Amino acid sequence: MRNMRDIKNQKRPRQPQKQNKGMRYGKKGTAQKQDKALLAMSLPAIVWYLVFAYLPLFGIFFAFKRFSPKPGESLLKNLFVNSPWAGLDNFSFLFRSSEMPGILFNTLFYNLVFLLLDIVIPIMLAVVLAELHSRFFSGFVQMVLLLPYFLSYVTVGYCLYGFLATDEGQVNHVLRMLGRATVQWYQSPGYWRVILILVELWKTMGYAMVIYLCAITAIDRTLYEGARMDGASFWQRVRLITLPMLRPTIATIFILRTGSLLTSDFGLFYQVPMDSNSLQPVTQTLDVYVYKALMTQANFSYSAASSFLQNAVGFVLLILSNLVVKKIDRDSSLI
Amino acid sequence: MKRLNPEKMWRKLLFLPALFLAAFGLSGCGMQKNRDITTLRWVTYSASGASMDAKEVIEAANQVSREKIGVEVELEFQPSDKMNLMMASGESYDIVFTSSWINNFDKNAEAGLYCDITDFVERETPALYESIGKYWDLAKIDGRILGVPILKDMGAEEQFRLNADYFEGEKGMEIPERMDGLKALEPFLKAYKEDYPNKYPMAMDKGGIPGFLNFLERIAGGVIVIPYRQDSEIPQAMAIWDCKELMDRYRLLHRWYQAGYIHPDAATIDSTDSDKSIPVRFGVAWKGYMGYSNPAQWGCQVKTSTYEGPFLSRQSGQGAMFGICAACTEERAIECLKYIELLSTDQKFRDILAYGIEGKHFNYLENGTVLQTQTGIDRYPASLYPTGSVVNASVASISPDVLSDPDQWEKVFEGYEKEGIYSQTKGFYYDITRKESIITALQAIYSDYATELRTGTSDPDVVIPKMRKRMEAAGFEELLADVQGQLNEWMEKADHEEYEGHKESKETETASETE
Repeated sequence: MRNMRDIKNQKRPRQPQKQNKGMRYGKKGTAQKQDKALLAMSLPAIVWYLVFAYLPLFGIFFAFKRFSPKPGESLLKNLFVNSPWAGLDNFSFLFRSSEMPGILFNTLFYNLVFLLLDIVIPIMLAVVLAELHSRFFSGFVQMVLLLPYFLSYVTVGYCLYGFLATDEGQVNHVLRMLGRATVQWYQSPGYWRVILILVELWKTMGYAMVIYLCAITAIDRTLYEGARMDGASFWQRVRLITLPMLRPTIATIFILRTGSLLTSDFGLFYQVPMDSNSLQPVTQTLDVYVYKALMTQANFSYSAASSFLQNAVGFVLLILSNLVVKKIDRDSSLI
Repeated sequence: MKRLNPEKMWRKLLFLPALFLAAFGLSGCGMQKNRDITTLRWVTYSASGASMDAKEVIEAANQVSREKIGVEVELEFQPSDKMNLMMASGESYDIVFTSSWINNFDKNAEAGLYCDITDFVERETPALYESIGKYWDLAKIDGRILGVPILKDMGAEEQFRLNADYFEGEKGMEIPERMDGLKALEPFLKAYKEDYPNKYPMAMDKGGIPGFLNFLERIAGGVIVIPYRQDSEIPQAMAIWDCKELMDRYRLLHRWYQAGYIHPDAATIDSTDSDKSIPVRFGVAWKGYMGYSNPAQWGCQVKTSTYEGPFLSRQSGQGAMFGICAACTEERAIECLKYIELLSTDQKFRDILAYGIEGKHFNYLENGTVLQTQTGIDRYPASLYPTGSVVNASVASISPDVLSDPDQWEKVFEGYEKEGIYSQTKGFYYDITRKESIITALQAIYSDYATELRTGTSDPDVVIPKMRKRMEAAGFEELLADVQGQLNEWMEKADHEEYEGHKESKETETASETE
């Protein structure tokens, strides 16, 4: 979900670019006044990325060093002079666990499901909402769907606990009223793949929907009017106008999400299941494993190693998916 | 819980150089103003950060220490992750809280992060040196002293905290001062469950019973244990699954879980403190500790009963220590020691950081104990060990009627001599550096089972074999062999030194670990 912010940043500069295309590249090599203005506007973002995204890149060295600092000396000296090279040793703790295939499976499984559902369901919602005539009702639905996005997973976890607690939980209350046997939810891993997917959807679909809704509102209304005059049904309008016009947005979201296929929301997989031991086979993702392994030790080299691995894989996936998108539709790719 | 995000950490690390500069700049200014006063940066542990009146109290203490030894402190209260970050990034400080459970002493000392004070501690601060006595061993690495142990309860004594109104008053049961093991609790649990079938008598959250593993020395985060009492001459390190006592304890807890003595969701509950109706609680404390007995706090008359211990080992003794930064010059290290000495020998001074300002946060009672005022409880809640010697601080009473024994510490230490159960490992500590990646992998596996085992939720005979299989695949045997190897070496060396010691000075007894 955190990629949504990036998408917005990405999208904004693109539109003015298109409009100005003819003018900007008219004279070769001369910067136009408008360029400077745009550059000035994007300066804060550039600085932010330089300071917080590019500058810390030297931290990659943590992953290949046996970090052993001397107190009172500078971080750079501690990292480059005082710490010996460790080769790939820092990565080895990741591969010692016999559960690693299961952990990787969980990470990829949930991310692929989310990737699919977070595109399909919000688009469906956005299409339906765009058709609504009552603006009040449309706004109300948007607000209700968007609200959970602003809750932290810790809060969400406790809300869920209110439903699923063994003794006092609402779900077991209902089961008892119906004369059914109660369930110890936090000790029953069978249900949790579904529960986690539902929780994630509930929390994030509102935000994704707003993005698609914006994209739909930006579609030229006359296309729909013309189609309607030609006798196109609702489904035909969606299939032949809305979806093709949404294609660049979908492609952008798809590409950015594939970059984080090995990264998972720690809150969802650790806080929401309350770190229950029994649920571990279905809730353990790579981030949760790393957290549990390093919780008691502050070994920055190990955590840097795992983060490096996740990001390297993410980078490759991102480039690959961009290539695929480019093959299918040149205009929708990012690079 | 914090989300693990190394990128964020790097970002934080980036600011450190800037902070350094700022700190140097500030301290530079301070130095010029009053030439004779040394300002020490002292970082101590607090899970919840500094209390509201901390600034005021520290200033009050500084006034005294400036006058007495020309030293003042900038005392910071930091949670454990901040301290880890500080140590791991090589940040500058003078004194730091270190122990076997937070900011690990053995690991840091082994890595050379602490100042070696062996050569001057006795010469410069004789009173401090004498007061710590045989406990200096806790701070020794290869015979060198790299820290200052804080005198407090040095052994782990496990207690039941029972609702006396109910068990003694209503049920007519007797709560003896000493009970034999955890299982002695069963009749109490049973009685309550019969009266209240829908309630759960045991206070149990996901942390488990506090201190219930203290009857073992635990290595590598608890996956390897060394029992205190062993038949063999050289203590044997063993796996959790090979330790019968531990397995039996897990089985007992699981039986209690099934009997309904433990809340079914115990493994996901954060705290049971707010439920005052729970009649059976647990604690780790010492003889005469009154903190569990305040009826106003717990809603009933509480009687404590020791069921295990006191267990004494290097680990239990390292509950709280001072570390002095290796970057300190000898001069500065001596200033640190002088300050620690003042904390350890001057009771009036010690009480300031322990309880706050007299008249505002606490008052002295007639028998020499301390009573906190409501302001003190709210704005400077007492937590003694992070700010220095507990033994040298006055003892706190709970109310003008419930008085504590002002001389309790003498009795506590006497108790250690008389009934203490001493580890046979002679101060052994395991150097993790060679096997760190195995330990890290094992930690992740252990944490997949530990919560449900210690809360009795899962059946150890089902779950532990699974855990064992995974652990063995991750290199458990290799780690165990390394632990035992280091232990054997250690024992050999310790025996040899003891023998040499006896030869050298026949009249002075060396620190012998008596059973």
